[in-house]
Amino acid sequence: MAKRKTKIYPLNRVEGDLEVLVEIENGVVTEARSAGIMYRGFENILVGRAPLDGLVLTPRICGICSTSHLMAAAKALDMFFKARVPDNAKRVRNVTLIAEKIQNDFRHAFLLFMTDFTNPEHNKHSLYEEAVRRYQPLKGETSIQTIQETKKILEVIAILGGQWPHSSFMVPGGVVCIPSAHEINHCLFSLRKFRQWYERRVLGCTIERWLEVKSKSDIDLWLDETESHGNSDLGFFIRFAREAGLDKLGKGHGNFVSFGSMDLPKHTAIKSHSNDGLFLPAGFSSKSRMHKFSQEKITEDVSHSWFTGDGSKHPYDGDTIPYASGSEGGKYSWAKAVRYDGMPAETGPLAEMVMGADPLILDLLREDGPNVYVRELARLIRTAFLLPVMETWLEETTLCKEEFYRDHGKAKNGHGYGLVEAPRGALGHWVKIGGEKIEKYQIITPTAWNASPRDAEGVRGPWEEALVGTEIKDPENPFELDHIIRSFDPCLVCTVHTINLKNEPRTIFV
Amino acid sequence: MSLKVYWLQCGGCGGDTWSFFNAESPNIVELFDSFHIELLWHPTISIDSRRDPIKLNQDLISGEQELDVLCIEGSILRGPGGTGRFDEVYGKPKKDLVAALAQRAQYILALGTCASFGGIGANTEIEATGLQFLKWEKGGFLGSDFKSGSGLPVINLPGCPCHCDVVVGMLTALVSGTHIEFSEFNTPLEWYSMMVHQGCTRNEYHEYRVEETKFGEKGCMFFHLGCHGPIVHGPCNKLLWNKRSSKTRVGVPCFGCTRPDFPQRYPFFYTRNIEGIPIELPEGISRAHYMAYKGMAAAAAPSRLKTRKTKV
Repeated sequence: MAKRKTKIYPLNRVEGDLEVLVEIENGVVTEARSAGIMYRGFENILVGRAPLDGLVLTPRICGICSTSHLMAAAKALDMFFKARVPDNAKRVRNVTLIAEKIQNDFRHAFLLFMTDFTNPEHNKHSLYEEAVRRYQPLKGETSIQTIQETKKILEVIAILGGQWPHSSFMVPGGVVCIPSAHEINHCLFSLRKFRQWYERRVLGCTIERWLEVKSKSDIDLWLDETESHGNSDLGFFIRFAREAGLDKLGKGHGNFVSFGSMDLPKHTAIKSHSNDGLFLPAGFSSKSRMHKFSQEKITEDVSHSWFTGDGSKHPYDGDTIPYASGSEGGKYSWAKAVRYDGMPAETGPLAEMVMGADPLILDLLREDGPNVYVRELARLIRTAFLLPVMETWLEETTLCKEEFYRDHGKAKNGHGYGLVEAPRGALGHWVKIGGEKIEKYQIITPTAWNASPRDAEGVRGPWEEALVGTEIKDPENPFELDHIIRSFDPCLVCTVHTINLKNEPRTIFV
Repeated sequence: MSLKVYWLQCGGCGGDTWSFFNAESPNIVELFDSFHIELLWHPTISIDSRRDPIKLNQDLISGEQELDVLCIEGSILRGPGGTGRFDEVYGKPKKDLVAALAQRAQYILALGTCASFGGIGANTEIEATGLQFLKWEKGGFLGSDFKSGSGLPVINLPGCPCHCDVVVGMLTALVSGTHIEFSEFNTPLEWYSMMVHQGCTRNEYHEYRVEETKFGEKGCMFFHLGCHGPIVHGPCNKLLWNKRSSKTRVGVPCFGCTRPDFPQRYPFFYTRNIEGIPIELPEGISRAHYMAYKGMAAAAAPSRLKTRKTKV
C-alpha cells in the first residue's frame, strides 16, 4: 500500500487554530506533526501595560475558559502584591471556576466529541442509530439538553462575577462582588437543578452511587445493575466506546501534569487530598511514578516553533519573538514546546484525577494505559466530585461573615505566577513587573501542553505521540484520528482531508 | 424565506460563539428552527459535520451556493508585514478567504469588537483590523466604500463578547425585513444608542456622586475605578448577561468593550482625571456645568448612600 500523507484541518478557533499533518504507511500512522496556525501575540500586547491590565486582557485569550485565565492572572498578582485572599473570596473564585469547568466538560463531550459517533464511518456500529438520536448537532436529545443545561450553570458566574464569558471580577486580594445570601441561594438553586440533570441524564444514578464505582470490574457491575445506568449518556458512552475500541486508541507518552485543583479556604469542611493547601494536588507523573511538583521545572523551547530564540527557558525568562519562516529549519507551529523536567506531558481532567489518586482512574490506567476512552470518561465523571464541593463552598459563603476583598499594599517591582487547573488542564501565567509596568508576561495554556510540537531533542508532543502507531481502517475517512485529537478536548470540529503524495496536494483556491 | 448563514472565526477567542450559546427565548436551536435560518457552516456547531468545507467555500465563492449572511468573529490578521501568515487556513492567509466570501454575501455581520474595529490586536505586531473600521477610522480590511450585496456596509455588532440577544435580534431582523437604523459606526441604534450604565443598579450612587476608590464596595466606579458605563454605548444593563446580572452591578468597572478603541491604551481600573473630575465626560456635556452639577449632587447625597446602606 502506498505511503500517503493525510492532512487534518481541525477547525479549532477556541484555543487557537490547529492543523495536524499525519503520515500513514500500510494503514498505520508513522508520523504526526501538530501545528498551531494562528498567532495572536497576547504576551507582547501586555508588555508595557499597567499591572492590573492582565485581569481584563487575558480572559480574552479564550472564549470558553475566560474565568480560568482571570484566576491565573489574579493569582499571579496576589503573589506580586503579597495579597492575602480571604476565605470567602477563595470560595467565590473556586465556585466560578468549577462552573466553568462543568459547562466545558459537557459541551465538549456532547456537542463536540460524541458528535463523531454520528460519523457514517460508525454506521456498522450496533449503537449508531442511537448515537445519531442522542448527538446529532442541534437535533439530538442530549445535544439540545446540553445547550440548555450548560447555559444555566453559567448563571452562577454571572450572579457572582457579572457575566460569562469575559468578566474581571477576581482582583489581587479577592473578588469585587459582595453577594447577598439570597444571591448565593440563587446559585445553589442553579447548582441543584444542574445536579438533577447530571444524575438523571448523564449518570443515570445518584452521584453517591456512581462514586462507589472504584474499579474496571465495578463499571461492569454498575452497567448491569439497572436499565437507567446503561441508558444514561455515561452508560451509552461506555458501551459505544468499548465496541468501537476507543480504549485501545491514542496511548501517548503516559506522562501527566496538573497544576493542582483550587486553593482551600482556611476554614472549610472540604478535605484536602494534598499537603500543598490545594483540594487536589499539583503533580507530574511519568509511567505511573509520581514526582513532587515544582513550577521551576517548566520550560518552553522554540526549536520547532515560528519564534526566534534558542534553548529551553523557564517562562520568567522566555521571550515571544514571532518569525514566520514557513517550513525553514523544521519549524511548523505557533505553539511552543512546553516541557516538565525536560519531558512532554498531557494535561486535562485525566491528569487532574491521576494526581487526586482517583481509584477508578488509576485502576483503568493500570489495566489499559492511557487512551481515548479513559480521557473522555474522566471528563464525564469529574463533575461527580466537583459538584458536591461546589455546593459546600456556596453554603459556607452564606454562613461566613468574612469579607470578599482585602486591600493590599503597593508594589512597584517584582514578579508572580498563577497556576490554575482550567477545564482543559494546567494553565499558568508568569508576570514580571518593573516600575509599575508589565515587563514580561508569559502564558502556558493546557492546549500548549497537549498540542506541543517537537522539542530540540526531537521528542514529540503528547498529541503527536498519541497519534503515532494508530491503525487506520479507511485512509479516506480516518475517524480514529478525530477521536484521538478530540479526546484532548481542543474544543474543535475536525474535518479531515486526504492528500495523495503522488498528486498535487488538494488546496483551496480563494 | 430561509436565510443561509456562514459563520467564520478569524483572529479571536471564540467568545462570541459561546456568548451566542447563552441565548434564551429563542435559544439557538429554536432560532434556527423557527426562523428558517440555515446554518451552512459554523466551526463549533456545524449542523452537517460531513459537509466538505473546502467544497462549500468553492461553491460560495463561485456563486453556486447562495450566501445571505456572512458572520465574522474575530479580527482580520494582516501580520506579519501584510502577509496574513499569522492566521492561515488550508495553507493560505485566512484574510484572502474573508475577502472572497465578502464579495458574495448579501449581509455581513461583524460579531464582536475584534471583527468590528480590530479589538485586541489592533495596532500591534499582528496588524489586526476590523472588517470596515480600524479603531475609530473608517476603512479597515474591506475599505470605506465597501457594500455587501444588499447595499449595506458591514453591520458592526461590537462587545467583548457581543451579547447573544444582539446577534439573535440582528438575524431575526434580517429574516423578517425589519427596518434598522445605524450609528456612524454602523452599529444598530436599537442596542448601541444607550449608555452601558442605563439600568445599572449603582445608578443612585452615581447620581449623588458617591464614588469608590477601592474594590468590594457598593458605590459608583466612574470617578476613580475606571468605569466607562456613563460614556460608552451598549445594552449590558438593559439585556443583562446570562439573564442575571452585569459587570457593573457586581462591582466590575465597565471597560468600554463596545467602543472602537477597546482595549484602551491607558490603564484599566483607573479614571484619568483633572482635579478629581474624569477627563472623559458623558457625550455632549459641558465640563463647567458637569462640575457644578456633580458638586451639588455630592452635597445633596443622602446619608443612606454615603453610609452604603442601599444595596445594589
